[in-house]
Amino acid sequence: MAVSLSKGGNVSLSKEAPGLSKILVGLGWDARVTDGADFDLDASVFVCGESGKVLSDHHFVFYNNPKSPDGSVEHTGDNRTGAGDGDDEAVKVNLAAVPADVKKLVFAVTIHDAAARSQNFGQVSNAFIRVVNEDGGKEIARYDLSEDYSVETALIFGEVYRHGEEWKFKAIGAGFEGGLGPLAASHGVNLG
Amino acid sequence: MTTLAMGANAPLSGQKTTLTVEVLGGSADVTALQLYADGKVRGDGDMCFFNQTSIGGGTVSLSVSGSRSSFELDLGRIAQNVEKIVFTAALEQGTFGSVSGVKVSSSERHELAVETAGRSEAALILAEIYRRNGQWKLRNVSQGFNGGLQAIAEYFGVEVTSAAPTPPPAPGAAQPKPAAPPPVPPQPAPKPVSLSKVSLTKNERTVSLKKKDGRFGRIQVNLNWNQKKKSGGLFGLGKTGIDLDLGAFVEFKDGYRNVVQALGNSFGSFGQEPYVQLKGDDRTGAVTDGEWLEINGDKWPEFKRVLIYAFIYEGVANWAETDGVIRLMVPGQPEVEVRMNEVAGDSRDGMCAIALLENMGGEIKVSREVRFFRGHKFMDEAYGFGFRWTAGSK
Repeated sequence: MAVSLSKGGNVSLSKEAPGLSKILVGLGWDARVTDGADFDLDASVFVCGESGKVLSDHHFVFYNNPKSPDGSVEHTGDNRTGAGDGDDEAVKVNLAAVPADVKKLVFAVTIHDAAARSQNFGQVSNAFIRVVNEDGGKEIARYDLSEDYSVETALIFGEVYRHGEEWKFKAIGAGFEGGLGPLAASHGVNLG
Repeated sequence: MTTLAMGANAPLSGQKTTLTVEVLGGSADVTALQLYADGKVRGDGDMCFFNQTSIGGGTVSLSVSGSRSSFELDLGRIAQNVEKIVFTAALEQGTFGSVSGVKVSSSERHELAVETAGRSEAALILAEIYRRNGQWKLRNVSQGFNGGLQAIAEYFGVEVTSAAPTPPPAPGAAQPKPAAPPPVPPQPAPKPVSLSKVSLTKNERTVSLKKKDGRFGRIQVNLNWNQKKKSGGLFGLGKTGIDLDLGAFVEFKDGYRNVVQALGNSFGSFGQEPYVQLKGDDRTGAVTDGEWLEINGDKWPEFKRVLIYAFIYEGVANWAETDGVIRLMVPGQPEVEVRMNEVAGDSRDGMCAIALLENMGGEIKVSREVRFFRGHKFMDEAYGFGFRWTAGSK
């Protein structure tokens, strides 16, 4: 049984799944059922060092940069509508191969074109982030964000971080104004 | 007052709450629907509306005063298996983009900001109350359906038929009344379920019609206009009426193109290419229902686009006076209409491209055009169908 986290809660992935080396971080939401522009949510990962900033611009993994420079973090593709069961977007992380200077991976989701489409997370149903052991496919931890957001257009869903020798996962659920650009800038990404 | 933006939620602290909905500048049916774990109603008893003003043993009750609909909610007594109650408004005509405003507020001093500018929906889910960790919360939903009441009803599992809704239980049958009951207001005539119409205007130019299997059945297009009757004129004396002809440029994905119109006796065919057929020709406008064109919607997957146009065969090109309206009727879809009279009606060009139907991933995207041209050739050049034109007559 996966650990179900509330906002702010954390769990040791290494303890829950001893010998864990590869994880899949899945993000999901319900497709829009009413009329209007689809909800196009984009997952991004900030691969951060000690300072809490990305190690380089190439450590901002998102739809236009699907892999971190060393290949340990890989975005599996953009789902533009939220259609389908299960994860709508997923990021594969080879924890064993993550360089030692990487201290945390921040998983964020932004609504594409939110301002133009007048959309926010309060209109999106059943958003979640889950961490799955890629070896065997067992879900280790899950965080359902359903009530922890409303009018935000960018959300930090959670982070996977080093704690001594362990990897831990924390449910964040923090909103961020302004969308992907400002969110990326705040994590030290130089935007063109 | 706490303002809840679209998507925002707030806890409801009281045991009883009143939610008030007011649609300004439009006539709307306001309904509360009780939903269960599957997100659907279980039957007519879960609908609180003008014809059934109390449901759930009185836990949800409606009172209407002018354009205001107030729902009294006895939160503590709502049946445990009710997960959510949604509050919807369906316009009798037009879209929410054309109303002057929607006000939603609660007795707990929440005000819900509902943006209406530019909206194409004919029915909206305005708000919902739902259970969260043993407490009721209120959310500003502000999302809806272009297809109006029928689409919203289908989504929540309400069966819509053209028959009148079930009459409410006879007064006194269920609730014993005190000795001196208040005077019973005259029973409003049962209102048939009105299916809202989508009107494409200068501001709301497009609508998309979708169907799961991509087959739309028999699509009917009607062009109607008012024949100008001069006072003192005698019916049938002289031919002063305006003759509007309806036609279509048709293009298929495989490159096949055709023109369907009375001119040149190119009436088309419903059963074979071009799968578009003109039904007769009203030369005077005196036949009240105008001209009809049918599109074989079951072949829609093969269509690329259809441009529907009208041209003035005889008479003066005074479009403002023709008061023309195109109606597009797709089975099971809201009717789409495009009126020509809201354009600057001073065009003397005899040809008007009215609406463009495009196959967008299997959906029918209907765009209002209302562009005037000097003739077929010029319109063709503007839309790039690439026909070869010679003069014709009928």
